[in-house]
Amino acid sequence: MTRLGLRARVTAAFAVGALLLAAVMALFSYDLTRRSLLDERERTAVRAAYYDAAVVRSGLDTGTPDVVAVLRSLDTGSSRRPLLHLRDGWYARTADVGAGSVPVELQRMVAAGQPAVQRVRVDGQPTLLVGVPLAGELGYYELTSLREVEETFQVIGLALTAVAIMVAGAGAALGWYATRHSVRPLTAVADAAERIAAGDFATRLDPTTDPDLTRLSTSFNHMVDQVVRRIERDRRFAADVSHELRSPLQTLAAAASVLTRRREHQDERTATAAGLVADEVARFQRLVDDLIQLARTEQPAHRDTVDVAGLARAACRERSLPESLVEVAEGTLARWRVDRRRVEQILLNLLDNAVRYGGGPVAVRLELRDGIGVLDVDDDGPGVPEADREVIFDRFVRGRAAHARAGTDGTGLGLALVAQHAAAHGGHAAVVDRDRGARFRVELPGAAG
Amino acid sequence: MTAVLVIEDDDRIRLALLLALEEEGYSAYGAATAEEGLRRQRESPADNVLVDLMLPGLDGFECIRQLRRDDDVPIVVVSARDDTHDIVAALEAGADDYVVKPVAIKELSARLRALRRRGRVVVDAVPAQVFGDLEISAEAGEVRRAGRPVAVTRTEFRLLCELAEHAGRVLSRQQLLRRVWGYETGDERLVDVHVGRLRQKIEPDPANPRHLVTLRGLGYKLQR
Repeated sequence: MTRLGLRARVTAAFAVGALLLAAVMALFSYDLTRRSLLDERERTAVRAAYYDAAVVRSGLDTGTPDVVAVLRSLDTGSSRRPLLHLRDGWYARTADVGAGSVPVELQRMVAAGQPAVQRVRVDGQPTLLVGVPLAGELGYYELTSLREVEETFQVIGLALTAVAIMVAGAGAALGWYATRHSVRPLTAVADAAERIAAGDFATRLDPTTDPDLTRLSTSFNHMVDQVVRRIERDRRFAADVSHELRSPLQTLAAAASVLTRRREHQDERTATAAGLVADEVARFQRLVDDLIQLARTEQPAHRDTVDVAGLARAACRERSLPESLVEVAEGTLARWRVDRRRVEQILLNLLDNAVRYGGGPVAVRLELRDGIGVLDVDDDGPGVPEADREVIFDRFVRGRAAHARAGTDGTGLGLALVAQHAAAHGGHAAVVDRDRGARFRVELPGAAG
Repeated sequence: MTAVLVIEDDDRIRLALLLALEEEGYSAYGAATAEEGLRRQRESPADNVLVDLMLPGLDGFECIRQLRRDDDVPIVVVSARDDTHDIVAALEAGADDYVVKPVAIKELSARLRALRRRGRVVVDAVPAQVFGDLEISAEAGEVRRAGRPVAVTRTEFRLLCELAEHAGRVLSRQQLLRRVWGYETGDERLVDVHVGRLRQKIEPDPANPRHLVTLRGLGYKLQR
């Protein structure tokens, strides 16, 4: 079972609390209202019963009393029903009430000369039964219907229930609103964490004035500082190592060039060894360059308006490839908003890759699609197997085609750099399907204007 | 034979560079400190100077400034430092080009060749051009402001001639790199810093250039 969220729980607690409080208040006021209403009703009923009893008494005191007429003469309205208990039997105006309506206990009390009041149910209706002793007779009773009062109670009960529910709802809303404020710092932390994950290492939380939250923000910021420092240290280490390699490499490069120049003065074995040294120094040099570049790719892209078509042609010339390889899709502007140095390196590395492993590039295509600059480099090689298409962009990973060709002079960083430069533009690099050969595609969002 | 002075404090690097440059057909000699290099350059001026930035005593930046004070010898920085800050500072001090160690001797040689080409004045029988109080005479290899000659380096002069030849039209940084430096692809900071230095010399108010203007995202233009 998934646990409810913090906000949901706080909200539920607020709702339950509000409901309990409202229910207690409602019950209390219901009870109070009910009691006072009933008391009032009872007093009225008792007064009316005494009055009616006096009327009946005087009616019976006449010489030949007509009991029924006496009962009829009572002004009781429809809510009160008189019931007379004489020695010779029970008299009522209607047949629905009679001896059965009055509990025996009450009859006895009234007959003994004690007035009595009791709530009973007659024909399923709540009724107030008032018994008044009648001198010389057994008693006078009056049945007062409490239906109206009960209806009032129902209305009040309904109203109070509705109020309680509304209060609970208001409590829930209050809880939701209150937690929105208390959850806000958490939202801020989550947002900050996301920004940092996206590479914005300058993100920090605002140090709040709220003492309860200061610890959160300071420890979060401290953590980010530590992480950034560590990343920076690793990056700097890679850069420093590469840097320190540069000076001895300069000696090696210069010395190796002398060896290469003097090939004809060397015997065959020396010349072969010198050739190996020169080649490896050249590769070492590229490796160090690529490592330094890679250490630098974490920095954001510096966008400028760049003639990418011109850049692509220059890259082809630089690698002694025909400029005619470059095709610009119809309706595509040659000028893109991109980082010139990065795009230049993307182009050069993809061309190098095509030359080394793909039998040479056959096309370099540029196209703007919905503001995304799409850069394709096609080659004529064996293509890239599906399984290698992801890992080929990792550092120091070379495809099977690369392994098949022993003695390649690649550094294993070229495509990793391509991927990183694309990522710096918010885009990515991939190998896409093509009938024959491979197509390396780099997408650079935000390239249009 | 072209003479190259290598100012580099690392003995092994210096020795290897001298060997390699000699092998490429240069007459090369070295100096372990800036002071020594400056003295040698005074006594027997070389055609090109290669300078490392991290030198004991006077550093590379100061060395470039002092070299520049005396003449317009092409200076190429050869340094392991590749921060934008260092590159721009070295170019502003007066260097013509900047390469990061380790540089292949072929590449270094190509850059030196390009620098020499730049040194050669292009005599296309272009009449002297006038931009306000600025007068550029490609033939005489002279730049005058308000009648007085302005001391510009060869690279600056080539840059100015290129812009003057296309007066009123924009040249992109890449076009300038190709035409002036002879590089197919290169560091655009080279262009920016040289334009800045040129402005210091030819503009009455370098912060608000009248003649050598920047067109954002496009390049530079020389106008009347």
